Amino acid sequence: MLQTATRGLAAILVLGACSGPLLADEGKALNRGHEYMVTTNYPNNLHILDLATDSLYKTCQMPDAFGPGTVQLSPDRTIAYVLNNHYADIYGVELDTCKQVFHASITQQPGEKARSMFSFTVSHDGKELYTVANPTRMLNDRYEVQQPRLDVYATNAGMSAKPVRSFPAPRQLTIMQTGDDGSLYIAGPDIYKVNVQTGKFDVLVPSRHWKRPLYSAPDVLYVWNQQTYRHDFSLLYTAAKFKDKKEDPATADYVYGFFNIDLATGKTKTVDFGPLTEIYFSGMVSPKDPNLVFGVLNRLAKYDIKQKKMLQAATLDHSYYCISFNKAGSKIYLAGTFNDVAIFDAESLKPLGKIKLPGGDMAITTAQVFTR
Amino acid sequence: MKHLKPINNKALKLEQAADENRIEEVVAMNSVAGCASTTDPGWEIDAFGGVSSLCQPMESDLYGCSDPCWWPAQVPDMMSTYPDWNKDAQASNDNWRNLGTVFPEDK
Repeated sequence: MLQTATRGLAAILVLGACSGPLLADEGKALNRGHEYMVTTNYPNNLHILDLATDSLYKTCQMPDAFGPGTVQLSPDRTIAYVLNNHYADIYGVELDTCKQVFHASITQQPGEKARSMFSFTVSHDGKELYTVANPTRMLNDRYEVQQPRLDVYATNAGMSAKPVRSFPAPRQLTIMQTGDDGSLYIAGPDIYKVNVQTGKFDVLVPSRHWKRPLYSAPDVLYVWNQQTYRHDFSLLYTAAKFKDKKEDPATADYVYGFFNIDLATGKTKTVDFGPLTEIYFSGMVSPKDPNLVFGVLNRLAKYDIKQKKMLQAATLDHSYYCISFNKAGSKIYLAGTFNDVAIFDAESLKPLGKIKLPGGDMAITTAQVFTR
Repeated sequence: MKHLKPINNKALKLEQAADENRIEEVVAMNSVAGCASTTDPGWEIDAFGGVSSLCQPMESDLYGCSDPCWWPAQVPDMMSTYPDWNKDAQASNDNWRNLGTVFPEDK
């Protein structure tokens, strides 16, 4: 059953808007027990939204240039770490004061230029920050691609942090999360479990190298590094399910699914949740019902995982990349692309309003919802 | 790889290297010189051969692609080569007319 919320779109209210000087409220502390969402946008804003009123709470100005703006929160939810300045620097911003308390450059060696592809997070105890750097040596007559490295920083290292440990890493690594036991989980060609003391990478969830009979290798494009209320690490995939060993793409069924790691237990799942009929850039399992998964790009869609079936979909007035839930699982917040956050009722998929952000595009940022 | 075939020069070089068992010598330089080795159909046709799963409107996808150097042919590489390409169009939906084309500088 496909239901759209087209009629409801006409009634959208703009709940929040740019008002007053941006800097006026930078020192406004967050309130304990309140629920917030952080997101970033051009030219270089870190916005904090109050989810009780679905309005802009305050905006912190960040240094240097924007991009990608991916946010990771410290475990106590007091500091937002942002990968920015064209993927070249990580900044730590104290949310209560908007004060910058941490800075690390992805480039470390003389003569190299390094970038991190959405690839950083904070340890489960908040003491360390991990990032994968992709360095290139810039020589006069040529460039030489160097092996990526996992750099480990102490989060109390201040404004000129240097790695306290550094390890060789596989290529093509992107998003990561840490488990409660201190393990680091990094997505790439496969999903690796990494010992951050020794730098040992082990394949935990085979992705490109999975051995599912009559399945193609999965296609994964997932750069939204979200810290979820379910305390898990998830990425969507698509794959072909072939009819027989001839592996004919023309007769195959195409499926959507997700990889999932429980960050408390380390348990993993690889789950198909429905036929591939449209593209979603990000997806998330409901915090309220583990049998419901939602995906977003041009529509917001809800799937029953056990039945492997789309239950409902809402049309959107433009593409959104990044889906988040409030803690109760009752509201969905869509971010990324332009500069408005769209709010939907998770049950009915009816639009509830929008929060217009001061500044420009959110582009490929990652929003985070949290309770202080 | 059996369902893929190279259609641009970078991808052809990769395939040639694989045929000659030199794959380790060819690695994509994702962070400095140009972008990927792929020309990934994205703004022209979607994964289903249609257009409904392309980003809508296409401006919504502009900086999500140019920031990480995603589409080498279609938008400038803002990660390294043209970091200020959108300085006059921070909100793409409102200001996209301020975006210009870019060309490599003469040596």
